[in-house]
Amino acid sequence: MNNIFKFSGYIFLTLAFAWLAFVVGAKNQYGDLTPSSESLEENGSNIKGEVLYPQSMAGIAQLGAKEYLSLGCVTCHTQQVRSEESGFDVERGWGKRPSVPRDYILQEDVLIGHNRVGPDLANVGLRDYTNEWLHKHLFMPQMEVEGSICQPSPFLYKVSDEPSEKTIEAISVDNKMIYIEPSIQASRIVAYLQSLEQNYELPEVSFIESDIEADELVETADTQTIENEPSSLPSWLSEQINSGKEIYMKAAPGGGLCFTCHQPNGQGIAGQFPPLADSDWVLGDKERLIKISIYGLMGEIEVNGVKYNNVMVPPGIPPGSLTDNQIADVLTYIRNDWGNSASSVSAEEVATVRESIKGRAPMQMWTAAELNKKSDSE
Amino acid sequence: MKKTTEQQIDQSARIAVSFFVASAGLWLLAAAFLAYVAAAKLTDPLFLSSFEFFTYGKVKISQANAFVYGWGGNSIFAVSLWIISRLSQSPVRGTPFLLAAGTIWNLAITFGLLGILDGHMLGHELLEMPKDVWPALLISYLVISFLILVVFRSRKKKSTIAPQWFIVAALIWFPCLMMFAWNGLEINPGRGTLTSILSMWFGQNIIWLWLTPVALGCAYYIIPSVLNRPIDKYYLAIFGFWCIAALAPWSVVHHLEGGPVPMWVPAVGTVMSIAMVFPIAVASTNFHSTAFQDISKVWNYLPLRFVIFGTLSYTISSYIGVIFSIPAVAKLTQFSIINEFHFNQRVYGFFSMIIFGVVYHILPQITGREIGSAAKNFHFWTSAFGVFGLLLAYLIGGLTHGVLAQQPSLGWVTVIDSVKPYFLITEFAFVILGFSQLVFVLNVWKVLVPNPFSTIDSTVESKAV
Repeated sequence: MNNIFKFSGYIFLTLAFAWLAFVVGAKNQYGDLTPSSESLEENGSNIKGEVLYPQSMAGIAQLGAKEYLSLGCVTCHTQQVRSEESGFDVERGWGKRPSVPRDYILQEDVLIGHNRVGPDLANVGLRDYTNEWLHKHLFMPQMEVEGSICQPSPFLYKVSDEPSEKTIEAISVDNKMIYIEPSIQASRIVAYLQSLEQNYELPEVSFIESDIEADELVETADTQTIENEPSSLPSWLSEQINSGKEIYMKAAPGGGLCFTCHQPNGQGIAGQFPPLADSDWVLGDKERLIKISIYGLMGEIEVNGVKYNNVMVPPGIPPGSLTDNQIADVLTYIRNDWGNSASSVSAEEVATVRESIKGRAPMQMWTAAELNKKSDSE
Repeated sequence: MKKTTEQQIDQSARIAVSFFVASAGLWLLAAAFLAYVAAAKLTDPLFLSSFEFFTYGKVKISQANAFVYGWGGNSIFAVSLWIISRLSQSPVRGTPFLLAAGTIWNLAITFGLLGILDGHMLGHELLEMPKDVWPALLISYLVISFLILVVFRSRKKKSTIAPQWFIVAALIWFPCLMMFAWNGLEINPGRGTLTSILSMWFGQNIIWLWLTPVALGCAYYIIPSVLNRPIDKYYLAIFGFWCIAALAPWSVVHHLEGGPVPMWVPAVGTVMSIAMVFPIAVASTNFHSTAFQDISKVWNYLPLRFVIFGTLSYTISSYIGVIFSIPAVAKLTQFSIINEFHFNQRVYGFFSMIIFGVVYHILPQITGREIGSAAKNFHFWTSAFGVFGLLLAYLIGGLTHGVLAQQPSLGWVTVIDSVKPYFLITEFAFVILGFSQLVFVLNVWKVLVPNPFSTIDSTVESKAV
């Protein structure tokens, strides 16, 4: 201890050992992670042709990360979903799965943070916030979320009394209607926030099964917005139903044109088109429904004990054009209106079914017998 | 004969120490102002919200930097310079260089903080200042610590004692940490969360291996020298010292528990944090069993009262820190405002209180002027009360925050709503602390810049001579 050089040497070593482990050791362990497909071949290589995750952010989102950092957002917001043993982050709906090191390898500034005065933002892009909502929240959080202590950033917006193409309608502190025009910084930040999502599985981590109850919790936890109407349905469900109803009733491109046959009241037309209200097909197996929504249906079908024989072209204008999301919404709608009440359908479920029947020729409509045989054999 | 040596040393240290104490005091005020602004912004988000350079994040982070580098750095230079030269019985050399380097250090921090407020913040914990100022920080630091180590090298007695180990080690650790961080964060940065591990490691080590050892060294120096009795169970001190040196750099990463890093990183951190009970127990035994043998003297000599407040706070809150690093508890409190509790107890309740005491002990000796005891007492009680309120609010508020955040069924707004009262308490606490720090700076000012119209000063001086 008396020789300053020896002493400094020991002092340096105590530090260097820890540095070796945490910096050099960790770098050797996972410093060369690369993007990967969601699952691997048996020999451990990426599956050819599959999308590799994580994907790098769009340029504007990367610039948004810089703005996010420079404003100091990381002081209150984490961007990490902790593992199951360490907290209830997944239950709270902050992500579909815990975050893993690979999620961050393409980010230039890794802002995982270590304080949660505000919610975690690792998956904020998955929460169905519109750009407009995020802009209004950035401008004045208290306008959107009552009781929020998030800091307003009015300096990122140009405020005017007149609406224009670029402006967003907002309400000022003194309840006046104002119009805000996002600056380039604000647009970058919103693009960044929208790009934050860990919506893929990786070989080392898969989604944690969450039942519908947990999904409900997400929404009550994060979207307790002022506009929320008092409804017994969780807001995401009513949104899905509303969107589904729109598709059901729409007779223009992008719509479903469903009402022309099944009628706006879902009763169908006796002898020609089967009803959807209280129908054993609608309330039953989701997979059959999804298949019908993709490829249509022809020939004899028995609904609630009554036989029908007609042709249902693949729904959508043009036929068969409905996206996974639209199919999910419209099916959720028909399962939850006219007195129906059944579980919702998600876009992922649609995607899975679509994947499973990929080989089927386009416009090759199902027959009821074919569908029933399939579901029986399973 | 010995007395004159000591006076010569004090004389040689006078200008440099005064300079560092004065700069430290000014930074303390700046930090107190920023701390108040940050706390006020949490209770009222609309407060100063229209200024881009005053967002909560920027203010909060510049406050931490002003506190650690401005107040912490300058006061570390002041007290280590004086204690090392006193213990070495060797005068301070190179005062002009100390002053020049000190000026650069302060300018670098000033520009760094302006950079943060102007939006050039980096994402590294306690290294948020733009990297343009890093070279200035490192070089000025190296000059100052080199000159302190020169004094240490020229010591009269070959053998060393505990305060010297702690202070010299802290002086050496800082530039090492800085260079490790510089290499891993900017020159040769790792990808993804590798930088997060390093940034966490650096930020926590600045507290554990720079501020903490200096404060411990001060306590090891001032308690026996004022009470005029040896440290009780002194043979344990060397064990305590090497325990901190060996364990602290490993323990600090337990804050990453459950995060996107390899599992062994927080696991090692947790084990080592729990092992930290040994050095804490050693320091606590050394300080308190010595001090409590003559508690009336501790109470009556105000600098020592400050120091014992600091060591008690160190003991209690370090044990609390150990408890909060146990995974079952960390799960609750990991991301809550308990983190504020840890930071503030270390920099306010422990480090600052000890430094206040040491500064009050040093200043009369190097300037020959006494500080009014009413003013000192006022400072002590406002500090003690402010720190106590602040820490209690962060502790209880942090527990509330953490426990409620673990209830997935509670909306986030509800969680934050129940923490709001504690934010209000901390705002009041920061007002009290700001007031008390103003008194401290005035006290220091009165001693360093004597009132030419007062006659009392000259009599004290003549008595001392």
